[in-house]
Amino acid sequence: MDALETPRGRHGRAPDVLRPGAWLPMREYPQNEPVDFVIVGTGAGGAPLACKLARAGFSVVAFDAGAWWRPLEDFASDEAHQAKLYWLDERLCDGDNPLKLGSNNSGKAVGGSTVHFSMVSLRFRPEWFKSRSLLGYGVDWPLDWREMWRYYREMEQALKISGPVTYPWGPKRPRYPYRQHEVNGAGLALARACDALGVDWSPTPLATLSAPRGDAPPCVYRGFCVSGCSTNAKQSALTTWIPWAVRAGAEIRDLAMVGRVETGGDGLASGVHYFREGRWQFQRARHVVVAGYAIETPRLLLNSASARHPDGLANRSGLLGRNLMVQTNNAVWGHLEEEVRWYKGPPSLALCEHWNYEDRGKDFFGGYCFMSQGPLPAAWVATQTGNHGLWGQALVDEMRHYNHQVGLKIVGETLPQERNRVTLADEHDQYGLPVARVTWSMGDNDRRLVAHALDFMGRGLDAIGARDIWSEAENTCHLGGTARMGFDADSSVVDADCRSWDVRNLWVCDGSVFPTVGGVNPSLTIQAIACRTADRIVALAARGDL
Amino acid sequence: MATPHTLRLVTLGATALMGAVAWTWQARETRAPRRRLRPDTDVLVEAARTLNRSAGLLALAVAADSALEHARGDFHNRAMYTPLATSLLSLLASGHGHRDDAAAAHRLRDGCYLAAGLTGLVGSGFHLYNVSKRPGGFGWTHLFYAAPLGAPAALVLSGLLGYYGERVRDAAGDRVPRVFGLPAGQAVALMCAAGLLGTTAEAGLLHFRGAFQNPAMYLPVTAPPVSAALLAGTALAGPHRPGLRALSRLWLRFTTLLGLAGSAFHAYGITRSHGGWSNWRQNLHAGPPLPAPPSFTGLALAGLAAHALLDEERHLTPFHARLWRRRPAWRLP
Repeated sequence: MDALETPRGRHGRAPDVLRPGAWLPMREYPQNEPVDFVIVGTGAGGAPLACKLARAGFSVVAFDAGAWWRPLEDFASDEAHQAKLYWLDERLCDGDNPLKLGSNNSGKAVGGSTVHFSMVSLRFRPEWFKSRSLLGYGVDWPLDWREMWRYYREMEQALKISGPVTYPWGPKRPRYPYRQHEVNGAGLALARACDALGVDWSPTPLATLSAPRGDAPPCVYRGFCVSGCSTNAKQSALTTWIPWAVRAGAEIRDLAMVGRVETGGDGLASGVHYFREGRWQFQRARHVVVAGYAIETPRLLLNSASARHPDGLANRSGLLGRNLMVQTNNAVWGHLEEEVRWYKGPPSLALCEHWNYEDRGKDFFGGYCFMSQGPLPAAWVATQTGNHGLWGQALVDEMRHYNHQVGLKIVGETLPQERNRVTLADEHDQYGLPVARVTWSMGDNDRRLVAHALDFMGRGLDAIGARDIWSEAENTCHLGGTARMGFDADSSVVDADCRSWDVRNLWVCDGSVFPTVGGVNPSLTIQAIACRTADRIVALAARGDL
Repeated sequence: MATPHTLRLVTLGATALMGAVAWTWQARETRAPRRRLRPDTDVLVEAARTLNRSAGLLALAVAADSALEHARGDFHNRAMYTPLATSLLSLLASGHGHRDDAAAAHRLRDGCYLAAGLTGLVGSGFHLYNVSKRPGGFGWTHLFYAAPLGAPAALVLSGLLGYYGERVRDAAGDRVPRVFGLPAGQAVALMCAAGLLGTTAEAGLLHFRGAFQNPAMYLPVTAPPVSAALLAGTALAGPHRPGLRALSRLWLRFTTLLGLAGSAFHAYGITRSHGGWSNWRQNLHAGPPLPAPPSFTGLALAGLAAHALLDEERHLTPFHARLWRRRPAWRLP
């Protein structure tokens, strides 16, 4: 656990995570000279941006509050131990439906939550980028879907996404660079359920290798994906963008908590204060990119208020921290007569996006996909104790069904609401920074979506002969929306290039720029937006508009 | 480190090396012209023995592959032992044939080869049935990961090669040796060409599953079909295309080497799986199949045997037909 005590990215070298004990040379930048870009956060947003900006020749220093893990050496086959990958710092959660923050919506590590994400790599439905104009809900994105689909393509190629040969939904897409994985028992149960319901299913496009790539081996179907992949088959930011960024000349500072973005007399950002190796330090920068995800990004910007920016940086619209969205993550569970052994392989090997692309027969706005499930034993125990209050012999008896259990779980869209927001609380954390207060309440539309999904999936499980079917009605996952991108400074925090309307050398690059969240996992979209932002920065710099 | 650049270099190097070896092998080939009215029994028996060896090589590949894969499937169904047994029988028959220079078929060998071929056919049916009953419909998922439809065909080919070998022995004394109504050389050549194409299809499917991540994975889907086309072309074009014949023999030699190199590449592929060879108990199953590529070697050697028969037929042609006098304008070594 010394990665949690002592930074690994220093003295001109960085861990080579693909080889045990090996190091990569890493450039180091002085603190008192401004670097071109400081990036706060190294997850799905910050890491690709750091890589692409460094490749374009900018000087880049990226900070992460978490540790620089070596998966081959530091990751145990132990669910409880691997909680070290989550952001479990103090936060206050309230609202009608206080969020549970941790495993499926946070990450504290170099590589961010991609270190333990479920690798589901889906594209947005094209219409979602114009959901207000075309589908009548939410707000439009300032991005064109065709341009985004080009970036999706670039991301899929870069991460060697293993996907199906043909994808049943949406416009024709190019072939995934690697082939789909073998579908496990839980996935085949989903396939049977979809056959029975008369809808399409597909092997899930996943960011884990189905064939070797460089020093990374193909997936061994160990099933510990959401506890951190210990073989490096997972194409997380930690194993891809970060080493590429280091090789391209970026510096990554791990165990470095950024507490405040400093602004100068001209109102522009001048650098960041960060806590590392026991003391607060200051890194000067020409541009600051905040990529801390939907809670830490607004928290940092709100905490960076100054005389010129009394309500926090980039908050002239008053929308910073507002419109916090989650994705609903409800499930239907049951057990089958035959053995399923759902723990084998990645947890979501098969999916159905039918209700993302079908608008008829819905009494709600938005969409959802549902995927096959494979929680590891401790996670399943937690589900049982949390939902049924099982304990003792009753829990032991229930766990006997573990190898026969099947489940279908949604990633469902929730609509943006201004009342759902991130603010600063009066309490302070271990760095002396005000902790985030996270307020979230479900809307009526969100409830109707969940009810529809639970009914549909329940019928699916019933059709394949599952018994003791029950619904898990309370669960949420991915976040988004607290620094929305938009068409003008009054109705959004950043423009289409993720550049703040108010502070022109301040950028936001993570899921908080999403105006709507759609019904698919956000990681591929976050990375696509990051790469687009990098290209836009290069283009703006070329014509002197940076 | 397996960067795309290194892999490209390795592929190019291996291709050049195999090409050079194939060329040298061909250049060292010696053939004394013969002036005889009847086909040389030695030539036919020698071709038959080559077919025995080819059948044995395929049987060995099937024995190892089916043992590995069916062990992975825990011999869930008793029938999964059958290919192991019959491929071993085919292997024994082939060993026997290799040592036998009699110009006549052997009844036991025939039986073994028939059993192997039938097992392969039934196995294909079994695998097809296995795929058809999987949920979610017939699709890439099951073509990639369910029971492989093409694998039992290698056993069919082993049986066929052996059976053809026996027929060639039987025909050894004839004035115009024929197998199944076709001149022996043509019959064996066409069967080998078809076998090469089928095996290419199997390699193509599985290398597609592996996303052709190593450019060397393109070799077994390009070289063998060219071999098959040249071999079939040679057999059908008649005796007056010496250039085509030489080119065909060269490609077959390249394909022979490719089958062996394939196992080496697969051994390297295993090192790239998690744990590499130190985790061999898992990676022999999960990595690329070591025993599969030599099927190409078996078929290509059989193709060379077909060439020996074709050449023998060519030498006899002037005596039979008194038509062909033209000397070739050019010839490959």
